[in-house]
Amino acid sequence: MAKSNLVHVTIDGHQLAVPAGTLVVEAAKLIGNDIPVFCYHPKLDPVGMCRMCLVEIGTPKMDPATRQPMLDENGQPIIAMMPKPQTACTQPVSEGMVVKTTTDAVADARRSILEFLLTSHPLDCPICDKGGECPLQELTIAYGPGVSRMPLGSKFHLAKAVPLGDLIMLDRERCIQCARCIRFQDEIADDHVLEFKHRGRAMEIVSMSDPPFDSKWSGNTTDICPVGALTSRDFRFKGRPWELDNTASICTLCSVGCNTTLAVRYDDIKRVMPRENESVNEIWLCDKGRFGHKYANAPDRLTQPLVRRSGQLQPATWEEALAYAAERLNTVKSTHGPDSIGGLAGDRVANEDLYLFQKLLRGVVRTNNVDHATRAEFPANVADLVAQVGVGSGSNLQSMGKGSAILVIGGDPDEQQPVTWLRIKQAADRRGVSLMVANPRPTKLDRYTRQSLRYRYGMADHLALGLLAALWELVEEGVDLVVDKDALRDLKRASNGYSTARAATLTGVATDALRAAAQALAQASDAVICFGSDLNAAGAQALANLLLATNHVGRPDNGLVPLYRHNNAQGAQDMGVRPDRLPGYRDLDDGATLGDTWGVALSNAAGLAAAHMLTPGTLRAMIVMATDPVGDDPGARYAIQGLDFMVVQELFMTPTAELADVVLPATSWAERDGTFTSTDRRIQYFSPAIRRLGQARPDWEILSELAQRLRAHEDVAETAHLRPSATRDWTYVSVDQIMAEIAVTQPHYAGMRATIPAIVSQRGRLPFEGVVGEGTAFKFSAAEDDQWPVAAEVGGLSQWEWIAGDTDMPAVGSGELLLVPVRRLFDQGTLISKADLLRRRLPGPYVVMNPNDAAGLGVGDNELVTVTTEHGSAEVDVHVSDAAPEGVLLIADRMGAPLRGVVLDSACRPAAATIAPAREMVVGD
Amino acid sequence: MLAVIEFVKGLGVTLRTAFKPNVTVQYPEERRPVSPRFRGRHELRRYDNGLERCIGCSLCAAACPADAILVIAGENTDEERYSPGERYAAVYEINMIRCIFCGYCEEACPTNAIVLGPVFDISAFTRDAMIYTKENLLVPSPPQTPGTPQQTPEGEYNTSIIPGTLTSEPRTGIDMAPGKIEAERRKKLSL
Repeated sequence: MAKSNLVHVTIDGHQLAVPAGTLVVEAAKLIGNDIPVFCYHPKLDPVGMCRMCLVEIGTPKMDPATRQPMLDENGQPIIAMMPKPQTACTQPVSEGMVVKTTTDAVADARRSILEFLLTSHPLDCPICDKGGECPLQELTIAYGPGVSRMPLGSKFHLAKAVPLGDLIMLDRERCIQCARCIRFQDEIADDHVLEFKHRGRAMEIVSMSDPPFDSKWSGNTTDICPVGALTSRDFRFKGRPWELDNTASICTLCSVGCNTTLAVRYDDIKRVMPRENESVNEIWLCDKGRFGHKYANAPDRLTQPLVRRSGQLQPATWEEALAYAAERLNTVKSTHGPDSIGGLAGDRVANEDLYLFQKLLRGVVRTNNVDHATRAEFPANVADLVAQVGVGSGSNLQSMGKGSAILVIGGDPDEQQPVTWLRIKQAADRRGVSLMVANPRPTKLDRYTRQSLRYRYGMADHLALGLLAALWELVEEGVDLVVDKDALRDLKRASNGYSTARAATLTGVATDALRAAAQALAQASDAVICFGSDLNAAGAQALANLLLATNHVGRPDNGLVPLYRHNNAQGAQDMGVRPDRLPGYRDLDDGATLGDTWGVALSNAAGLAAAHMLTPGTLRAMIVMATDPVGDDPGARYAIQGLDFMVVQELFMTPTAELADVVLPATSWAERDGTFTSTDRRIQYFSPAIRRLGQARPDWEILSELAQRLRAHEDVAETAHLRPSATRDWTYVSVDQIMAEIAVTQPHYAGMRATIPAIVSQRGRLPFEGVVGEGTAFKFSAAEDDQWPVAAEVGGLSQWEWIAGDTDMPAVGSGELLLVPVRRLFDQGTLISKADLLRRRLPGPYVVMNPNDAAGLGVGDNELVTVTTEHGSAEVDVHVSDAAPEGVLLIADRMGAPLRGVVLDSACRPAAATIAPAREMVVGD
Repeated sequence: MLAVIEFVKGLGVTLRTAFKPNVTVQYPEERRPVSPRFRGRHELRRYDNGLERCIGCSLCAAACPADAILVIAGENTDEERYSPGERYAAVYEINMIRCIFCGYCEEACPTNAIVLGPVFDISAFTRDAMIYTKENLLVPSPPQTPGTPQQTPEGEYNTSIIPGTLTSEPRTGIDMAPGKIEAERRKKLSL
């Protein structure tokens, strides 16, 4: 804001200059004067409902003739105090304003308001889950009357503990009607599910939705509720706040990388709270992240190593299991060669694990057969493009305002990355960012768009290519745009006559719409493109070209953001857990330096991707870490059954682990430390919160032990004369040591906070303080993150490319519908299904059908039908809704294993489907 | 001669005190009553209808300077009610080796549930036996009451205290006969 917009204000004798429009309560906070508030919240619009922030305010007396302040005999402006106290939370500062917060009148107002708020309060702090971190409690102690004049019997009583949905408990007696929850749901979450009912003393919060409190954000209302009216049903009576040990952690349930705090009592995670990080999750956390932590302490966690003996998996010691695994792997290696062994990792484990995993395969087994299971969801070039033109380091969606643009294409952040959705929504809805959403079906983000581009299924690539074509067409027409015209000319030449007209024919999006969107992107001061897995290589490359041509790269708040599924998908790519790249996106041919560091000669033969490894007959042995290929696709069973040997590192006895020869119990994220890299390349450290369960060990430790035993059979004489080193000898003792090695071998990670020893050694001693603390007594903040810089920032951009788009949608005949798998936030993943509270929110298998299709087929809402594709058939419920476009059936991609590999193929691609009424159930069948 | 006089004098003292009442008691068979303000072993009290006063709020544990108290709360239902209101102590333990008998827990208790009683002879052969559980600490339910858990009419116990029971009462509710509860406890532990 410009300097001329500063206004001068005096608060309790302190003079300060603040930007015009600042509220008195915010100005006072700048000088450390915390005016007590209940309804005011820095993230919400002020309403002045609770009156707690009353202060005395005066403004300079103006001379009506000159419009200048009148001066007293000392030359000071005469201050006209307002006759009554004013609410500091709704009053913006004005020039010369005088605010008094310490007068008797203010103290009296505060005391009276508190007494008024407490007239019907049950005073049951001892049994209230908020007790101990309750603003009402704290402010009563600070400003309130010491004694109540209202006997308990005279108070207004209501039934206690009314469930407000599956996750939230409401106590109406404690509510002070500040409407923070209602306003949060309206202004931030935009789920209008809460409302006030009745008036006066009988006023209460009710849920308007069915099922009640139908929102992915319900848990946040318990954080911002300044009293004990809304509490979490998960945390109900689990412990008092002062009894909990809080540990800084990172959410593991999607790739946003929300900062969390694990509150632990007796080695059990009692609750997960958001930890403030204004550039990641602000102070919010979705319900999946908040309630989905149960897997860490699930009773069915694996706690000891298992070895298959005479066909049965039987308990063994670590030594036995590791020695056996090493011996069998070495046998396979010496008989069939290193390339007969493959490694498949999950991208939900830490960077250190993933780094050692590929190091084990490349440096010890000596094969490039290493991949992570969900890499195939996105086209192969996505991670490379992100390394080129990923969103600039120091990005913060919160800093984007008018004049910038966000394009969301081929994905649905609402279901994939709720916090990203929330921040995009806030940018578009509250701060005027121009938002464009390209998706074949309506999503929740469409409400805030300047433009919705509704393309046909399978045509995401052509939409991206069409936007690029629109750009050069606009330039040719003489529209004044700041773009790289030469590069666009080259691309046009390479495109072989591609045009918006062609894109429009294929996608069904009008040429004008394509041009308007391209123009909006080109004219934006900052532009971010978020893209989902609908795109193929051509589309992803086109988006990168679009950013490059419009110069939206290499700066904060500019670049690509992929909507990855798992928490460390980016980290898995960075660590080189893929068959075609070494750590740091280096080609397999550039392995000499890495090999020198590791003390081995690396193979440069391309390895097998996950899908190939899971083709029967390709491999002899497999190392599987933290992923469940058989659970995802029952067809993977055949490849695994044909293996000579498989070792699995897992938390649970998954369908894959059941087929293993050796199962090694790993620890969850809560029992260890490490780093995750979020979807916007933020490297974030998490601390151990609970003790290791049983004999479980962190994945990096298991890998080190396994590597040491594998190497024992190897001839290490050539390096035996060298000084012992953890890097060569696999004698790692901590994740910091591994991270230090990563900083050497993965140049992007060098200099990141997570790798700097001075910072690493201070861990656990970081200052814990929230910036947005008002009215939420729970405060815990310790952000330690960095986004590693992409090529667009530090140099090394590669050539632009034109990849022709293809259309690979199956042909849909008459009477058939296109069955499309979509992401749902609450799915049946291995981890999420351990949370009882969330499981109630998981519907059974269902498809979403357009009302017109339903009418045509004569299918009603909630009717059971049989869906048949070329792969098979399944019985599912039908939800009739506009959410599905005409001719399309939406199906959740992980709603229980039976669907995948039954009605969909193993790669979970769309398929043509027919609908028939479900067979009659025969009683006793 | 002098020695004889002193000898008779001494016997005289013996003779005089022989007819005075005894000062000593035959401990442990016989015990002196303690002062009403004595701070001995804790007891968890009940209401007259047998419901537990303790609501599992953990404030005693928070007040305890020796960190001797552990409370893990549970949730009441009308079908299975331990205490009035929503919350009760599912686990209540006091480690008597740690306890310094300061009485802060009693002071912190919002329902007058925990009080320090007259029992002082707390000893055991193992450390584990010195951890008193809720069963050990809870006084027996008054006669003709169902004890806990009990089934109660819906909506009758909406508040965490039974109204009118929070005035500071003299400690008449405590069994002043020393050692009775302790003796039972030892019998159970077969010490």
